[in-house]
Amino acid sequence: MSGAVGREPVFPTRQSLGLMKAKLKGAEVGHSLLKRKSEALTKRFREITRRIDEAKQKMGRVMQIAAFSLAEVSYAVGGDIGYQIQESAKQARFRVRAKNENVSGVYLPQFESYTEEGVNDFGLTGLGKGGQQIQRCRETYARAVETLVELASLQTAFLILDEVIKVVNRRDINSELDELDREEFYRLKKVSNKKQRDNAAADAEILAARERAAEKAAQNGTPPVAEAEEPETTDVLGEQEDNDVIF
Amino acid sequence: MEGLFFNVNGGYVEGIVRGYRNSLLTGQNYSNLTQCESIDDVKLQLGPSYGDFLATLPPNPSTSALAGKMTDKLVSEFRYLIAQSTGSTAKFLEYLTYGYMIDNIALLITGTLHERDTRELLERCHPLGWFETLPVLCVATNIEELYNSVLIETPLAPYFKGSLSHQDLDELNIEIVRNTLYKNYLEDFFNFVNTHPDFAGSPTQDVMSEILQFEADRRSINITLNSFGTELSKQERRKLYPEFGKLYPEGSLMLSRAEDVEGVALAVSAVADYKAFFDAVGLSQGGSGMGGMGGGPADGKSLEDLFYQKEMDMSKLVFTRQFTPAVVYGWMKLKEQEIRNVTWISECIAQNQKERIGNFISVF
Repeated sequence: MSGAVGREPVFPTRQSLGLMKAKLKGAEVGHSLLKRKSEALTKRFREITRRIDEAKQKMGRVMQIAAFSLAEVSYAVGGDIGYQIQESAKQARFRVRAKNENVSGVYLPQFESYTEEGVNDFGLTGLGKGGQQIQRCRETYARAVETLVELASLQTAFLILDEVIKVVNRRDINSELDELDREEFYRLKKVSNKKQRDNAAADAEILAARERAAEKAAQNGTPPVAEAEEPETTDVLGEQEDNDVIF
Repeated sequence: MEGLFFNVNGGYVEGIVRGYRNSLLTGQNYSNLTQCESIDDVKLQLGPSYGDFLATLPPNPSTSALAGKMTDKLVSEFRYLIAQSTGSTAKFLEYLTYGYMIDNIALLITGTLHERDTRELLERCHPLGWFETLPVLCVATNIEELYNSVLIETPLAPYFKGSLSHQDLDELNIEIVRNTLYKNYLEDFFNFVNTHPDFAGSPTQDVMSEILQFEADRRSINITLNSFGTELSKQERRKLYPEFGKLYPEGSLMLSRAEDVEGVALAVSAVADYKAFFDAVGLSQGGSGMGGMGGGPADGKSLEDLFYQKEMDMSKLVFTRQFTPAVVYGWMKLKEQEIRNVTWISECIAQNQKERIGNFISVF
């Protein structure tokens, strides 16, 4: 029951002691497992954060170089070749493959880039002049896209890991505890109901016995002995407030 | 004698061009440009020569917008010249526009092949390569129609005739079509300046022959270098070499057999100028950096840079001659180089790559 703060109210019996011990052990094992998982994920997460930082800085540089190589092309060709390139490109040369990586039960998608060597759609562009610049520009841009793919892969992993780590650290344990709490509460309620019924029956019996004893005493002329003690012994496990024991 | 009557028809045009030449940017202007911190500064520095054309640009324009406006000025000046010229001079100026026409037609053929809306393409065409029947090209919906009824009406029809059929347009790579046309154009132009009665034996023949020969050789060398590693076969490659120039015929033959950069270096070694270029960029020693603007030795100059440099020197020398429309050619090339230079400088400024900003060709 959630009445006492930070304390699990249980019946002080051997059985429930054993139960609680088993439960505690389970909880500890579960907790340490989750902790380990969370640590593994966090480690991975930190590594990914670091790599994202690196990749982003690299991207900045690579994109700058790529944009500049385009400026070189426009200097060498002396005009706009964009349209011609767009029209002559038919097949993708640069392609991306998706893979799954398992990190402590979490599947992280990974993108892997590769170039299709056979495809060379605008190999002849700039045949008259600027062809070499165009080819070099293409290589530079291929490298830039490669960096982008790497970054995309890292970013996806970052998002997924972030979510998973949050779940593992907080929500999972809490929801598990809540669940346990509810279960326990229900069980205790059930038990106490049963006890109350039993108590009522026992009280009725004692009352009847006492009446019989009073009748006997009236017949024998002796006062009843340890009158006050009798209800105490029967009521120890009950829900009622214990009466003071008077010796 | 040959200059005696030139001024009757061509004097005005020549005078105008010499005036235009004086507005070209000088070394001083360029060194001011390289000190600029933003595109707005560049715009300000260009004020004296381009003022009215750059006025409509928004603050901090893109480099392509800047280059576009500069080209607009070149186009409007050239249109004025062509409107003022007559007779053989007018014909000569028309020849200058054919190179741009080839580019425009290649663009439209590409568009037609991919069934694009050709009206969109018209906006992308170079204004100097504009001719009256160009919009008619948009009428054609397939390549056969384009060839049979439309291309035949263009000034470039003779260049198609005999070397390209409509199947070729469909099957060949557009670059091959473009270079075949360009080859025919160069040969025709060369023939024109050498045989036209107004030009034969005149300074025009002298300077233009030299320039066109250089242009032809440059194309042959570039095509050979750029074809390595592509599907272009040697036979096809050979068909793209113009059949004149200092390399023709022995050098061309050796070029057509070349399989690597060393082969090209060997083929051009007969001509001192080209040999010097190849030595300068270290290609003749088997350098692997294919004329790299970034990786080449020779203080970052690539083969193409050296070719441009040579072209500029020749264009500059044209102005030492008189009584010839060749000055228009020289002026146009200088102006184009100037636009490229300014674009380069403003790209360097815009992208913060100041260390390479000096990689332009200043002529005056």
